Amino acid sequence: MEYKDYYKVMGVGRDAKPDEIKRAYRKLARKYHPDVSKEPGAEEKFKEVAEAYAVLGDEEKRKAYDELGSNWQQGQDFRPPPNWDTQGFEFHTNAPGGAAGFSDFFEELFRGMHGVGGRQARNVRMRGQNEHARIFIDLEDAFHGATRTLNLRVSEPDAHGRVHHRNRTLNVRIPKGVRPGQHIRLSGQGGAGMGGGEAGDLLLEVQFNPHTLYSVEGKDLNLKLPVTPWEAALGAKVTVPTPEGAVELKVPAGAKSGQRLRLKGRGLPGRSPGDLYARLEVVTPPAHGEKERAFYEKMAETFDFDPRAGMGVGR
Amino acid sequence: MNGGSKGAIAGIVLSEQQTVTLDELAGLCTVEQSWVVELVEQGALEPLGPGSGEWSFSAAALGRVRTAARLRRDLELDAAGIALALELLDEIDWLRARLHALEGGL
Repeated sequence: MEYKDYYKVMGVGRDAKPDEIKRAYRKLARKYHPDVSKEPGAEEKFKEVAEAYAVLGDEEKRKAYDELGSNWQQGQDFRPPPNWDTQGFEFHTNAPGGAAGFSDFFEELFRGMHGVGGRQARNVRMRGQNEHARIFIDLEDAFHGATRTLNLRVSEPDAHGRVHHRNRTLNVRIPKGVRPGQHIRLSGQGGAGMGGGEAGDLLLEVQFNPHTLYSVEGKDLNLKLPVTPWEAALGAKVTVPTPEGAVELKVPAGAKSGQRLRLKGRGLPGRSPGDLYARLEVVTPPAHGEKERAFYEKMAETFDFDPRAGMGVGR
Repeated sequence: MNGGSKGAIAGIVLSEQQTVTLDELAGLCTVEQSWVVELVEQGALEPLGPGSGEWSFSAAALGRVRTAARLRRDLELDAAGIALALELLDEIDWLRARLHALEGGL
């Protein structure tokens, strides 16, 4: 298991005052929060920061962590001291990022500290909590439906009110026609109920993995469609990919780069299916050979064409 | 990539056409009702047909309330700050989508 240098993660000294740690956390959290930042790796970074703050921002945990000493290096192989015991501590879990998903290092150190605070009255009948997770699917899954495996880390209180984490694998059916941002509700798959109460629901927020061809906007799809200058100038029937197979598309004569052509009903499926928009991009063939060069020269002679007319620079 | 469909759990898709009550929305998002009311008061969230009767919301509000809940928990923002953040995030999302479409989906 790797040692985590929480001070380094937070960019503060080991003697940092609590309010300094809080400031550092807020700044880093704003920068890397997955809802705010689209930087690659932001989510991982945020988790690290949240974990560091869960320790350094909590007096008891920070004390325990500091007892390990300052000779450890970030990433160094770590084993807790033989007499390490945090069973005596108790604290409230309301950690940023949600405590599930913290590192093994954290789990090992503070395993015994996952008190939920206050004893749970065991004879109270209570429905389990609704739980939330994200599920990433491919665009194709929304067209054909699919089954996806989801690995979840769930927290469960035991009979003593201590919270334990365990990994749970779920096979989830992805219904056809699902759209990004929608939620799939799995009843009874959330947190366990207490005192015979029913389990809560699991709500999965659907996100799409990036696709090499299409981008998704609501229920519509966008596609960049390269065309030749002659197809654009003369008009043509071209073959266009769609998630449900290739279709013919009529490019009108005099088409321009950037022009959007609509393929009705070829977007995400549903009661009112979306459309697919092909954005034309005129691509000129390279003038590699002798013949090709001659052809371009001939074009220059033939066309009286100035794309920069109106820029006030003359020819 | 597909897991075996044996024993796969099927759920219900909460689509934009579906409506939920204030109570349901708060329950689904695991937040307090009063806090959802605060989000509405700050204009971060729009009820459907905000008449005098009981509020209802499009199921699309779920994602918004969940994002708001994460911002509150992780960044310690108040409802006004969340309303501003959500508005700016909406705008960034829209701009990103436009940019992505202009760059041709790559």
